[in-house]
Amino acid sequence: MGNNDLQRHIDTPYRWGFVTEIEQETIPMGLDEGVIRRLSARKDEPDFMLDWRLEAYRHWLTMQEPDWATVSYPAIDYQAIHYFSAPKAGNQPRSLAEVDPKLLATYEKLGIPLNEREALAGVAVDAVFDSVSVATTFKDKLEALGIIFCPFSEAVRRHPDLVRLYLGSVVPHTDNFFAALNAAVFSDGTFVYVPKGVHCPMELSTYFRINARDTGQFERTLIIADEGSYVSYLEGCTAPQRDENQLHAAVVELIALKDARIKYATVQNWYPGDAEGRGGIYNFVTKRGDCRGDHSHISWTQVETGSAITWKYPSCILRGDNSVGEFYSVALTNHHQQADTGTKMIHIGRNSRSTIVSKGISAGRGRNAYRGLVKMLKGAEGARNHSQCDSLLMGPDCAAHTFPYIEVKNPTATVEHEATTSRIGDDQLFYLRSRGLTEEDAVNLIVNGFCKEVFKELPMEFAVEAQKLLAVSLEGAVG
Amino acid sequence: MNASLYTDALSHIAAPPWLTEARHEALDRFLAAGLPDSRQEAWKYTSLDRLGQVTLRPPEAESSQAVCPDVTAYPGHVLLFQDGQLACHGTYLSNQFAGTLRHWGDTRSVHEHLGRIAGSSALADLNLALWQDGARVYVPAGERLGMPIFAVYGAATAEAMLHPRTLAVVESGAEAVLVEHYLGQTDQTYWQNAVSEIVLAEGARLTHIVVVEEGPAASHTSLTALRLGRNSEYRALHIGLGGLLTRRDLLAALDGADAGIRIDAFDLADGRRHTDLHLRVSHRAPRSQSRITYRGLADDRARAIFDGHVVVEHGAHQTDARQDCKGLLLSRQAEIDAMPRLEIYADDVKCSHGASVGQPDPDALFYLRSRGLDAAAARRLLLEGFANEALGLLDDAHLRDWLMPRLLAALSRRSGEEVRS
Amino acid sequence: MLQIRNLHVSVAGKPILKGIDLDVGPGEVHAIMGPNGSGKSTLAQVLAGRSGYEVSQGSVRYLDRDLFLLPPEARARAGIFLAFQYPMEIPGVANAQFLRTALNSQHRARGEAEVDAFDFLEHVKGKLALLEMDDGFLYRSLNEGFSGGEKKRNEILQMLVLEPRLAILDETDSGLDIDALQVVARGVNAMRSPDRAIVLVTHYQRLLEHIVPDRVHVLAAGRIVRSGDRDLAMELEDKGYGWLNAGADFEEDRP
Ligand SMILES: Nc1ncnc2c1ncn2[C@@H]1O[C@H](COP(=O)(O)OP(=O)(O)OP(=O)(O)O)[C@@H](O)[C@H]1O
Ligand SMILES: [Mg+2]
Repeated sequence: MGNNDLQRHIDTPYRWGFVTEIEQETIPMGLDEGVIRRLSARKDEPDFMLDWRLEAYRHWLTMQEPDWATVSYPAIDYQAIHYFSAPKAGNQPRSLAEVDPKLLATYEKLGIPLNEREALAGVAVDAVFDSVSVATTFKDKLEALGIIFCPFSEAVRRHPDLVRLYLGSVVPHTDNFFAALNAAVFSDGTFVYVPKGVHCPMELSTYFRINARDTGQFERTLIIADEGSYVSYLEGCTAPQRDENQLHAAVVELIALKDARIKYATVQNWYPGDAEGRGGIYNFVTKRGDCRGDHSHISWTQVETGSAITWKYPSCILRGDNSVGEFYSVALTNHHQQADTGTKMIHIGRNSRSTIVSKGISAGRGRNAYRGLVKMLKGAEGARNHSQCDSLLMGPDCAAHTFPYIEVKNPTATVEHEATTSRIGDDQLFYLRSRGLTEEDAVNLIVNGFCKEVFKELPMEFAVEAQKLLAVSLEGAVG
Repeated sequence: MNASLYTDALSHIAAPPWLTEARHEALDRFLAAGLPDSRQEAWKYTSLDRLGQVTLRPPEAESSQAVCPDVTAYPGHVLLFQDGQLACHGTYLSNQFAGTLRHWGDTRSVHEHLGRIAGSSALADLNLALWQDGARVYVPAGERLGMPIFAVYGAATAEAMLHPRTLAVVESGAEAVLVEHYLGQTDQTYWQNAVSEIVLAEGARLTHIVVVEEGPAASHTSLTALRLGRNSEYRALHIGLGGLLTRRDLLAALDGADAGIRIDAFDLADGRRHTDLHLRVSHRAPRSQSRITYRGLADDRARAIFDGHVVVEHGAHQTDARQDCKGLLLSRQAEIDAMPRLEIYADDVKCSHGASVGQPDPDALFYLRSRGLDAAAARRLLLEGFANEALGLLDDAHLRDWLMPRLLAALSRRSGEEVRS
Repeated sequence: MLQIRNLHVSVAGKPILKGIDLDVGPGEVHAIMGPNGSGKSTLAQVLAGRSGYEVSQGSVRYLDRDLFLLPPEARARAGIFLAFQYPMEIPGVANAQFLRTALNSQHRARGEAEVDAFDFLEHVKGKLALLEMDDGFLYRSLNEGFSGGEKKRNEILQMLVLEPRLAILDETDSGLDIDALQVVARGVNAMRSPDRAIVLVTHYQRLLEHIVPDRVHVLAAGRIVRSGDRDLAMELEDKGYGWLNAGADFEEDRP
């Protein structure tokens, strides 16, 4: 594409950047054991949770912030963050009728109606606002099938045995700097349990919203698919437009038992900062799935368009024989955004299989890195992996990196990795324009074609949403 | 770290005075940094702890020079270094373009480039402080050398710590073929830590073959650093056949526009060998091209590691970079690790890499057997074919005749199988 | 020469061949035709000794030996040659190097003298000329980057060089242009002799105009449902496989 055209800049405002004026209850800035005790008490947590948090906190104090990702940002002051902020609405509302109308209006404006009658067909939503879950739809309907879908804090109180059994079993609190921090201070999130043999009839989804200033969001999601069950889960995220950076350090743990299948999709649209790189969310997330049983199957699909910095590697531990792990990713960086994302596929079980499809789009001064590990352990007899990492480059100042690590310790295992780069060529654009498309439409068409393999993994409505998001995120990258 | 080993070694070197200061500075840098350790990302898979555990000594002032390899076996000019020093005086064949660094040290090309291409890193600093001798190749503008120049670095003394150094400067429009042969002549422990610096001026062409055939208990670390001028072309074949632990780094900077680089590499890791090859190719100017082909075999309890890193710097438009890396695992205890990396800071580029690790293709084996080859012969043929994919540069019949028997002998060393020539 | 009795074969637990009986004598040419997926290649691969096929019943005798006791290379050395429907590409192994290795390993196994490089080239070049192939093919990697038709010709070249007793050609005519078809047919006819047998797997009667078969068999859903002389092939060309349905019970087996 002609560089001048490409650089011609139209700045579209971030559509989700508004602030909800609502009275918030906030624990003062800073982090020490006192803050953690207050947070735990505020949530009425059983002792085992407080102990777990404190242990994580003490471990976190001994850790170093990682510096190996190809991202750069000014040092984060962990004492200048609020670790808890929630709308003042008394305790958890018991039904949608009790939810503050301002909050309902907020989600309405974000395109996520919480009113069950207006809700997207077949999607149950847990809405997380700063540090707490404010509403969960279709809970009762799901409960009738034995499916637990509720805020994490509620699960801790109502299903402590399940939480205790699985919490930290995939991402231990010692795992990495941000996972340790999350374990110490996480405030809410979503808990899902699908019982044996149950095929969850609707998409489960969580919508994360950061609203308050100087607040970190540390949520935790735990999904357990018992033997032979199936669940498809979606998460979406937005935040107000602010000049300061805000930290989001989430942990997601997935557990698939024998013959179970979990599909996990993310459309990440945190505030990316402005065209000059001011503000935006630091999105430092640990996501990992454990294919614990034979024939279990976990797939991660992510569309990452937001955040100033993204650092996440949704991974699969393929423990079960014949288990399957998948990672489908589109990551777009424009302006000054940086993304360092990828996956780890750890093959332990016999005939385990994994597929990686990563599509990186770099525009403006965006930096986009794929970092992945495929590891075939000694017992991974006949295991297979195929990885495809493609980068689409838009503009002379963008950067795109591919850093795959392949480790093979079993001679019957096969790993194949391919990576390519391409740019949108003048001739391609010309061809499409000569057929009557505007340049923007032509670019969107090409970009969507580039991402097709990933979009087809998303449920229909979200695929459409993701396409729109890409188009909006790329405005400014094309003339 | 046993610092006295290194300081002692330096005190024994009768250096030309103009180098003394640089040597001391380099040693100080090395002592401050220490040997690389596996916490460093680039050393994640290779530990040099072994070097701290074995006894090492600086080479004797006068090495015994008892074993003199047959120089006539090499199809070209030969510079033979034995335990760090020019060996078998008078028997080497050379010409005006190839000499020793010790003899030609005080020349313009050496002053200008020595130590400047390799840059500073722990092992390069150590070599800069302690090198004793090595080949110096200088090809004046427009000169085309017909015959290859062989720099042979033999190691015959147990516990020796050797730092061979090579400098090759190919001036504009000139052409040469340089072969470095690292040859172990003892089954005992020793360590060669080599540095080769290569400068190609505008339009220069160099074919560079590096054959590592260290002894079975040897450690080999090396750095090959090169600068490519406009329109120059570097073609390299790196072959690793011996040494208990080998770690080779190749750093190439394509400084000039339209420069081309091709690196083929074949590593055979068998027994308990550990081979680690790191390539880093930086495209720094428009329209340059790189082609990397790696083939690695790991058998027995060996481990082969390959890290190929291609960087396209800002402004290096129309870079065309391809990397193709394959590993074959031949045993349950072997391991292969591969990292084909791309780091791109431009948009008008064509870059790709492909990597695969697995076992010899069972369908191909069946095909060969259905033509009458027995299982072992079919396997051998596949392995040879696999190696051949990295040997495209051996178009010169003399070089081929010299190298192929060594390669086939190494291949037949695995599982005691005999390989057809 | 070849006696197949009640052969049942399955792949990954799925039955493919369901009782094949076939006799091929020296000097004979048999054609096997049949719809896609009926098991023709399976039969060919089983005869060549590919692993992954479970022989659940039946026997195959070749030159009075139990074929299933022999590994693939022993079958090749005993004179069985399979021209693959999809020949393998083997990078890095030159065609000539491969052919000579194969030829000499067969010679050695039969206690015959090995062929040196010079004689070998003479020998091969004659065959190349017969197949109108360029010498360059000898020095390229085995089948790598060959066009579909070139791969098929290369299979025939191997057959001519290795001089088998029983040649099984799996759709060697597919993907060939008309001229190439004649060239290949010429190659096959050059092989015909009273002590050699040829089994042709094909979809087209066209090939059979050039290589006239003694017997034609129709394989459908894992069984030979009809055998006849070359007129059967012409009838098939006219009417397709459908007309065989009447009386044949293979339809119910199809998924
Ligand atoms: N590894 C396998 N796993 C499962 N099914 C297989 C496998 N190999 C072959 N088959 C099936 O066996 C059947 C017979 O295949 P085969 O290749 O023998 O057919 P064919 O008669 O040669 O067909 P064509 O005319 O298309 O070449 C097909 O249905 C095929 O899909
Ligand atoms: Mg077939």
